[in-house]
Amino acid sequence: MHEYSMTSQIVESVLEEAKKHNAKKVDGVHLVIGKLTFLGLEQVRFAYEILVKNTIMEGSKLHIEEKDGVVKCSKCSYEGDVKYEDDPTYHIPTPTLHCSKCGGVVEIVGGKECLIKSAKIIV
Amino acid sequence: MKEVVKAEEGEVFDIELEADILKANEKLATENRELLRKHGVQAIDVMGAIGSGKTSLIEKLVQELKEKYRMAAFKGDLTTTIDAELIARHGVEVVPINTGKECHLDANLVRKALQRLDLNSLDLLFIENVGNLICPAEFPLGSEKRVVVISVTEGPYMVVKHPFIFMNTDVVVINKVDLAQAMRVDVRKLEADVKRINPNARVAVTNCRSGEGVGKVVKALGL
Repeated sequence: MHEYSMTSQIVESVLEEAKKHNAKKVDGVHLVIGKLTFLGLEQVRFAYEILVKNTIMEGSKLHIEEKDGVVKCSKCSYEGDVKYEDDPTYHIPTPTLHCSKCGGVVEIVGGKECLIKSAKIIV
Repeated sequence: MKEVVKAEEGEVFDIELEADILKANEKLATENRELLRKHGVQAIDVMGAIGSGKTSLIEKLVQELKEKYRMAAFKGDLTTTIDAELIARHGVEVVPINTGKECHLDANLVRKALQRLDLNSLDLLFIENVGNLICPAEFPLGSEKRVVVISVTEGPYMVVKHPFIFMNTDVVVINKVDLAQAMRVDVRKLEADVKRINPNARVAVTNCRSGEGVGKVVKALGL
């Protein structure tokens, strides 16, 4: 839902950084987006296309690397994949806070990133 | 000395940015939390569906707790101060936050609103978010506890249709229980849906018009 404003911040940050390096053009941007964020990748791509128009980023390639969620259990100290609910009424797998090992309650320790990792610039 | 290495015209570079857009909000949220803690103020987020009774809940909590705590509220809405006025009539300081078009509050808006309050004269701060069961969960604001309000008039599938926000909450309030039968909503089923996603969440069933169940919310929040 807030993909447009988030992507707008991403584009602004890249443009600012590119300016510091006196870039003539930005050729590509590498994002890392955690699967436990609420960002729809299709909407991010859509917003990106619109936002880069008439900037030195126009035509740049957007590479999105998805990162799995990581949880940690305080009871059995399991650290790893999230347990997903596979109830067919959800249609898409829904993450839960149940430990996949002992059934205890876990805490999210990874997968909430929205990171601009790098950009490819032409000077 | 060798010649300085310079970029040639048209040369391609990879620049590292390592800038996390969500982390920027998280950092501000941590600063807000530290500021509030320094002044001994506990902030509580109230998030939830449009028209589910977030403001009614805050009104009832303010009435119930006003002998015990000195309170204030932030009221997030796209436009208007209608709800802010509803809370203010109970004699607490309210700072309305109009987001214009944005679907959620963020830590920066809360930081600005905090500057309008005398934190030394407060114990408790309610932060009511924009009515939305999606985005607010992504943006921590600096609170100690988070409440999500839903109500039976939104139908029996509010939790299963918006599972993500329930992962990020401490207390879930199921409001308008007096209308459950007319709406043919099984409140126990809604409660089970919450527990399925977040076994740690505490659930309180309320009627925020009459005040029924509000005591349970107070208890669940440890107030």
